[in-house]
Amino acid sequence: MNELDTPTELDTPTLSELEARATHERPAFGEHAHILCDNLVRIYKTEGVEVVALQGLDLLIEKGELIAIVGASGSGKSTLLNVLSGLDVPTAGVARVAGTDLLAMTARDRLRYRREVVGFIWQQTARNLLPYLTARENAQLPLRLAGKRARTSRADELLELLGVGHCAGRKPNEISGGEQQRVAIAVALANSPQVILADEPTGELDSENSEQVFAALRQANRELGVTCVVVTHDTLVSEQVDRTVGIRDGRTSSETLRRASSDGNIIAEEYAVLDRVGRLQLPRDFTNALDMERRVRLELERDHIGVWPDKARSEDTE
Amino acid sequence: MNPLLLLRVHRGAVAVLALLALSASLLIAALPRGFEASYDDALHGILDVTSANVTDLTISLEPRAAEQHLTSMAGFQKKDREWREALPSSVTSVLQTRRGREGHFAAKTIGTPVAGRVGVDGPPQQYVNVGWVSGTEKRVRYVQGTPPGPPGVVARVPGYPDLQNVKRFDIALVKDAAEKMGIPVGTTLVLGNSRSILGRVTGVFEPVDASDHGFWDHNLDVLKVSIRRTAGSDIEEQRITGLTDVGSLSMLNGQDRDLMYSWVIAIDPSAVDTRNAPSVIQGVTDFQSYLDKGAGRVLATYAEIAQYAPYFLATGLGDLLTDFLRRLATAQALMFLILGGLATVATGVIALAVQLLSERMRPGLALARARGASLGQVVRVGAGTVALAVVPAVLVGYGLSYLLSGPVTPIVHLGPLVIVVITIVFAAARLAFTHRKPLQDRRDDVAIRRSSPRRTALELLIVVLALGGSYLLRTRGLATEVAAQGADPYLMLVPAALTVAVALITLRCYPYPLRLIVWLAARARPAVPFVGLTLAARARSVTALPVLILLPALAVSVYGAVVAGTLDSAQRLTAWQATGADARVDGQAEIPDDVIEKIRQVPGVRSIVPADKGTAQIGYGGRSAIAVAIDLDAYRRIVADLPLDVPPPAPGVAAPAIPALLSPDLAIHDTLDIGWHVRMKLVKRGVITGGLPGLSFAESNLIVLPYDAAKRAGLRTYTNTLLIDGENIDGAKLRAATGNRPDFLVSTFGEALNRVTKSPLTNTINGSFLLVTIALAVYALLTVVIALVVGATDRARALSYLRTLGLSERQAAGLTVLEITPLIVLTACAGLLLGLALPSALGPGLDLSVYTGDQPVRTYDLSLTTPALLAAGLSAMAIAGAYLHAMIGGRRSLGSILRVGE
Repeated sequence: MNELDTPTELDTPTLSELEARATHERPAFGEHAHILCDNLVRIYKTEGVEVVALQGLDLLIEKGELIAIVGASGSGKSTLLNVLSGLDVPTAGVARVAGTDLLAMTARDRLRYRREVVGFIWQQTARNLLPYLTARENAQLPLRLAGKRARTSRADELLELLGVGHCAGRKPNEISGGEQQRVAIAVALANSPQVILADEPTGELDSENSEQVFAALRQANRELGVTCVVVTHDTLVSEQVDRTVGIRDGRTSSETLRRASSDGNIIAEEYAVLDRVGRLQLPRDFTNALDMERRVRLELERDHIGVWPDKARSEDTE
Repeated sequence: MNPLLLLRVHRGAVAVLALLALSASLLIAALPRGFEASYDDALHGILDVTSANVTDLTISLEPRAAEQHLTSMAGFQKKDREWREALPSSVTSVLQTRRGREGHFAAKTIGTPVAGRVGVDGPPQQYVNVGWVSGTEKRVRYVQGTPPGPPGVVARVPGYPDLQNVKRFDIALVKDAAEKMGIPVGTTLVLGNSRSILGRVTGVFEPVDASDHGFWDHNLDVLKVSIRRTAGSDIEEQRITGLTDVGSLSMLNGQDRDLMYSWVIAIDPSAVDTRNAPSVIQGVTDFQSYLDKGAGRVLATYAEIAQYAPYFLATGLGDLLTDFLRRLATAQALMFLILGGLATVATGVIALAVQLLSERMRPGLALARARGASLGQVVRVGAGTVALAVVPAVLVGYGLSYLLSGPVTPIVHLGPLVIVVITIVFAAARLAFTHRKPLQDRRDDVAIRRSSPRRTALELLIVVLALGGSYLLRTRGLATEVAAQGADPYLMLVPAALTVAVALITLRCYPYPLRLIVWLAARARPAVPFVGLTLAARARSVTALPVLILLPALAVSVYGAVVAGTLDSAQRLTAWQATGADARVDGQAEIPDDVIEKIRQVPGVRSIVPADKGTAQIGYGGRSAIAVAIDLDAYRRIVADLPLDVPPPAPGVAAPAIPALLSPDLAIHDTLDIGWHVRMKLVKRGVITGGLPGLSFAESNLIVLPYDAAKRAGLRTYTNTLLIDGENIDGAKLRAATGNRPDFLVSTFGEALNRVTKSPLTNTINGSFLLVTIALAVYALLTVVIALVVGATDRARALSYLRTLGLSERQAAGLTVLEITPLIVLTACAGLLLGLALPSALGPGLDLSVYTGDQPVRTYDLSLTTPALLAAGLSAMAIAGAYLHAMIGGRRSLGSILRVGE
């Protein structure tokens, strides 16, 4: 408020100042983010019935990040991942991955995007690999499909890196579920993608195998610098990543950041997400506890904003 | 992704597809060959029994102008070359090319009477033509005398002072004629009543080979004495043509005698087939008009036009072929229909197998697509796999079809090619549609698909078009000349459109009757019928393809059964009408009692109804009528279970009048005085319409009397016809019983039926219907099994969940059967109805009368037994397939099924 009092600010800007301000590009929302979702909407429409799977989702992920996305069944996690992997097209909003605008892509761009930018892993181990190809052949497949020379050494290196080098000559039904998922990660990495998307990669595995698979993901993230987005229910996974994004009803609702404290413990702090236009999702537990409905009262304090139930008003109406 | 790898991985589905493609290609390539071969066999059968002078081309000329006279063989040869050069190429290609059989030419006088014999008297009314026929030297053998020499001129003829400087021709007669006509070697005949010539008989010959029909059929006048009884006298005319020397040509001319030149251009019957027949007909017509336009004549003056005689073309080839093509058109249309139905069904089943294979490949291809395969790559790999499965199989089928002998028509090559193309295109289209997006965003769990108004309108349009088409076909008939141009595609389009229309209606209306049954099932205690029928009533479990396959399969089978049944009963009716009983003996004279007694002893004969048939004089004028004296009561007893309609006998009247049934044209008389054996006085006691089956086809001028009419009139009974009732009467034994007399004509029902059914092409039609019906039944079975296998995963999961709730294996199998049964039963009913409706829909397009001894087939024999049995059999087979599939599928462990697709 004090700044407003300064006479310079009250001065009418000169024309040149206005021109400079107009031409000066302000950094756009998440301009430098590796993955950007801004007000992303995905609506499934079948014969007149609409289902809104994503209802204006915002998400920023930096390059080289390993994040987990959690949420209840039907919250839109898988839809988000399908959009990011280029398998699905959002209805509206902005989705940009590694500089590629996912809404403005032609079919050819989309194919190139899948071939060069992203790799992904599904929950079902059987769905990730072709059952009649060996692990090595599976890992070579994306290269072959992209029309590149499929070097055996590249596939073997990847399998070796992920600790499944011994499975290279075996078919999926000859190796364990955990190994299958690690081979699947190798397949996803085969094209040297910038982003890896994993949809519940440990969903079908026991804790020991889950750990190995997650370790493989983290290894890929650290050693190859690949951005990893993991959708998961598995607390083992969500508690080990730097950032966990919660999705509710097609919107990002919360974020949990983890950092190491000075004594070496991991401190997790959960934040609510404030979107670009200032919307905030209050946790349902909170609103239920205070019986908040429809309207709340906000009060701006010096260092925070207070949220009060609209009691007085509801008494008035009664 | 390598198609070969996919081929190996999905070898089960690939084997099914390959087997179907092989069988379809074999059927589509082999059946038309078989059909064509049997058409040709039928045509050659007809041509072989037809006399060569009907099939060959004979060009004749009665020369008038002097310039038209040919005085040497060279002249004939020149003309012969001229004709052959003028023949259209379509006719040239079917000419006889065997050396010495290409044809011949002749010059013969016509109707030359024998005016007398020099030195002796001969019998009257003899005609001896003088003729020269090329190529006789090698065909006759002289048994007496010498071959004719060159002609000469005789200054005087003893006994014929008027004859001076007459031409003398040496002639040779066939031995038969020399004997019958009493003309020995050495006789000199005075020929012609005016400007007579002399014919000196120098030799008597015999044909070297009388069975050389290609030659002698044209020259029967040389070989056989033709005898004609002149009206009003008992003297027989005898006619023969004597062969003369080639040198006689210089003196034979049309100014003295009626002379006929002829050139025979022989046709090779084996070179004529159903494919070139239309062009041969056209060629003959063209040649005819070439002759009509004055070919071979160079006219300079008007006088010449008057003098010059035209050339005539005499051949029955065109008519023969036209008549055959008329018969053939019906057979071809029928074949066209059943082959079309078979091809449709085969293609449908192949499409279903492609669906199976592409469903099997889907997870792999979808993964590849998600991992960066372009749509082109996916389609190439998938369609490549299908091609690898189909192409060799089709080639094998195509190759196997060559084991069957028969002419190769374009359809033999095109059919398999079309199968390959349709299969690969269908596979590519289906794959492209399935994988057009890397992710399936169909949320069938959210909302079921509702049909769009556009689709409803399209379906409605198809139904309207089909009904309109069949209405037009019924009222207007076929527009094109079927006999000339072969089967009309319109004829094929109508059943195809009707099938699609009925399939659409079936698919649309299928849930409605089911809902009623489900409503009832819901009130019953057992859960299986309710759940099974509910599954069936859900539109998703019904795919259009099985309905589209089963429907034409049934419709064609039923149609085949109706046509075959109609043909059979029409042929039997024709045969019954021809014999009138199990057997019949017609005598030209009275049949003696001892012969009747012997016939009674023939094995199988139960009873005999004697009858007398003859021509009766009505009143005292010239009018006559066919009179049949028969005990109608007895006759009615023996035809009681036959499809013959015999009227009851006329009620009795007081003697001496005789009760009679009169045909409508005679019915104006209440009493009638006729002369037949004896004068009888008849009293009309009824009218007989439609003739008397078996005894008289004539519907007018017919009088039916009691058997003892002549006896009542004071004479005795006569018998010249026996109607025999019995079982399996052997015609040969019956003939033996009559003493094998030529004046007794013995006919049996079996022989008559054989004569009608032996009609060419009938066996082809019946055999093809049987073969196609079997093939269609197998296809129907496969359809159901493949359709079930395609949806096996989903069904297995649904059943497994139910089994965790306590459904037994047997109940699960029952559920599957119940799920598929309504579809099969309803489709079977629709197919049955369609098959029964097709004959009337195609009514005017197909004329079956050519196969029933030309008796018109007015109504189709819609006996429901065979078609219903067919429909029931097909349904039972399909349902058995479903049960089998369910039982085999039920063996898998629950755990493995529940994990499928997860």
